[in-house]
Amino acid sequence: MTPGEAGEVDTPKKQVTITINGNKYPADEGEILLGVAVRNKIAIPHLCYEPSLDPYGACRLCMVEEVKRGKREMTTSCTLRAAEGLEVVTDTPEIVKHRSILFELYLAEAPKSEVIKAMAARYGVTKTRFLKKLDSTDLLGNKCVLCGLCVRACTEIMGAAAIGFVNRGPYTVVNTPYFEPTKDCFGCGACVKVCPTDAVEMEDAGDTRVMKSWSGTRVPLANCDCCGKFFAPKGLATATLARVTPSLREEIAALCPACRGKRIAREEILALSGGAERHG
Amino acid sequence: MKITSADDLEAARQAGLQKLQPGKPRIAVGLATCGIAVGGNKVYERLREIIKRDGLDIVLTKTGCIGYCREEPLVNISIPKKPLVILHKVTEADAEEIIKQVSRGKVPTDKALCRVPSWDHITGCTLEYGKGFTRIPLYAKVPFFQDQQKVILRDTGLINPEDIDEYIAVGGYKAAMKVLTGMDSEAVIKEVEKSGLRGRGGAGFPTGLKWRITRDAKADKKYIICNADEGDPGAYMNRNEMESDPHMLIEGMIIGAYAMGAAEGLIYIRAEYPLAIKRLKLALEQAREYGLLGSNIFGTGFSFDIGIATGAGAFVCGESTALVSSIEGRTGRPHPRPPRLTDVGGGLWGYPTDLNNVETWCNVPVIIINGSDWYAKIGSEGNTGTKVFSLVGKVDRVGLVEVPLGTTLKTIVSDIGNGGANNKKVKAVQTGGPSGGCIPVRMFDTTVDYESLNRVGSIMGSGGIVVMDEDTDMVDIARYFINFATGESCGKCVPCREGLKHALLLLNRIMAKKGTRKDIENLALLSDTIVATSLCGLGQSAPNPVLTTLAYFREEYDALVKP
Repeated sequence: MTPGEAGEVDTPKKQVTITINGNKYPADEGEILLGVAVRNKIAIPHLCYEPSLDPYGACRLCMVEEVKRGKREMTTSCTLRAAEGLEVVTDTPEIVKHRSILFELYLAEAPKSEVIKAMAARYGVTKTRFLKKLDSTDLLGNKCVLCGLCVRACTEIMGAAAIGFVNRGPYTVVNTPYFEPTKDCFGCGACVKVCPTDAVEMEDAGDTRVMKSWSGTRVPLANCDCCGKFFAPKGLATATLARVTPSLREEIAALCPACRGKRIAREEILALSGGAERHG
Repeated sequence: MKITSADDLEAARQAGLQKLQPGKPRIAVGLATCGIAVGGNKVYERLREIIKRDGLDIVLTKTGCIGYCREEPLVNISIPKKPLVILHKVTEADAEEIIKQVSRGKVPTDKALCRVPSWDHITGCTLEYGKGFTRIPLYAKVPFFQDQQKVILRDTGLINPEDIDEYIAVGGYKAAMKVLTGMDSEAVIKEVEKSGLRGRGGAGFPTGLKWRITRDAKADKKYIICNADEGDPGAYMNRNEMESDPHMLIEGMIIGAYAMGAAEGLIYIRAEYPLAIKRLKLALEQAREYGLLGSNIFGTGFSFDIGIATGAGAFVCGESTALVSSIEGRTGRPHPRPPRLTDVGGGLWGYPTDLNNVETWCNVPVIIINGSDWYAKIGSEGNTGTKVFSLVGKVDRVGLVEVPLGTTLKTIVSDIGNGGANNKKVKAVQTGGPSGGCIPVRMFDTTVDYESLNRVGSIMGSGGIVVMDEDTDMVDIARYFINFATGESCGKCVPCREGLKHALLLLNRIMAKKGTRKDIENLALLSDTIVATSLCGLGQSAPNPVLTTLAYFREEYDALVKP
């Protein structure tokens, strides 16, 4: 385990100085280089990086060259960790060359993704020489680049593992087991939130949340006791409420956020006015 | 019976010698997968029926494979005081004649491949068979064998792989006893380091150093794993090593476990090797019975056992991190290193783990018995020892070939392999499995060692050598291997998953004569990017067949595209 990782929460992290493109930046020892770059607004394209998850290294866009004993070595900045004296350069001709090809591969893989188009264009790639993958039955709208963030958020963060990778190699897709609606989905929408290419779609229709990308998985919604609006997936609401203190749970249970706010405000007014009800 | 002393081991050795040279005729049928595939089982059954029918005092047993695949099924005959004779291309129909001759103290000379008057098992045991049968060529004069040096395959095809006694008879488990009862961890690691042994799975990492790193990792538990996920098309060295001499692997692992302080070992073997799995399980069982595995081995207090984990058919699971994922029950997808397997947190179940290839482990006992100096003299500087290659494809003499590292391709393909099959001219070889490069015949002076093969754009890999002749279309070869790699890509990173797919599409177009010069250029560019940016070794090396055929056989591509 790298120093500074879990298990050493209490000790302050050692500060180191790293060099990116000739400029020096402070960083915590062991911090992921891509994170340092993002913080300092140094543009390094990336698709599969998410600070709350372990480095994954799949999209290969964040490649930088590490300067080591006078030699340069290409590596992904999402797996590179800050150490005293670490030096990287981000836009060498070599990187630009390979990155352009990778962007072309992405443009062919997810031809309908506006995010990919815009990102590639920022790096001067507007066309692809490779055959575009267009599948009208694709539940992810020909926008998925298989970065794996949705699968990892669902499994590693939510603990639901409702979706996963199906097949292997170029046939890989993300979906539910056997492309059937799944009961394991909480309907939390984390997959929608983390998707870097806006490929995952969900929709709330009346009392149901439809995970359109996940083989029509449907999740029942809970409605507000007060105003009657559907506001959160039932299972998720129950699970979340189980984690809050019982008194609070009683107070906010079964209310939508708006009605919760109203109730709290009213109670606040009542408390300030000494509890007197003038028109009681 | 538990072996706890040198005397116990000697008793087992004597029992084994009695089986190898029972004082009466012994017939051993080569029954590795290769022998079985061409009817070895039928030969064995027929021989058994005849011996039973006639009530003859002949020992019939099984053996592994000596490596001469083209001549299978092979049958060994040893008659007391006579040389061991290896018969080749034996069929059921030959059984009657064989038994008739053997019961008269003779062998069917027309079926004989060679004779072995004595055999040095190089682990302190030379078996003397006897003199005679001078019309049959000597083993050492058989062209296929004469340039080979058998270190790893020292017992294969001669002993019964299903009988631990026979392994002990030829010097087996002596190295393990020597280590456990008289050497400390440091001494063992030093010995392996000094031998110069490098990983035989393909990458050539110094084995002793890997052992040292694993031993020095601070953790209360460590694992050792044998990588037996041999998946290269046309490569089957490891299969034969396990099917023909499984105890050699087990002994190597016992020594490694002791040196690194591991109590548990695993053999990760592909499910497509059912016979190897069967024989390994049997061998593990026999080793446990003798107390060579389990608690308190040789009464030294050291405990170690080996389990078997089977793969599910994914080539990428030979990659170390994917292999560990697979054992842990997760999808076999590589993850970025570090953490390496040897790191705390990086190995099996998070414990430091040493992973070595089958053949690497198999080298260990012989290094311990004969010493690192002896071993380091074999091969060339920086590339010590021998390596087993499976010489396949359009070559005359197909088989497993063991030569010192540093042997030229010419020796392997022309001298041992006798050039192309059916008198065709050899055009190229591909070394190192699907991710290896194609080396043209004009470069056959290249020596087979880790560095030289890299220099010409290929790799050692695990030891497959596929021969191509004048009729072979090199573009088609490139397409075949890219198709293989595309199908075996795990799909995690984009250059391997998408890049290989598009390389395959381009190759298909070129092969269909619909390609252009631009397609060839794009193929080259794309291949470079796949090599430079892929996450694991599979992607990083998969374009090698394209890059080398483009470099050495560009005219074949040009001929297929419009000008």
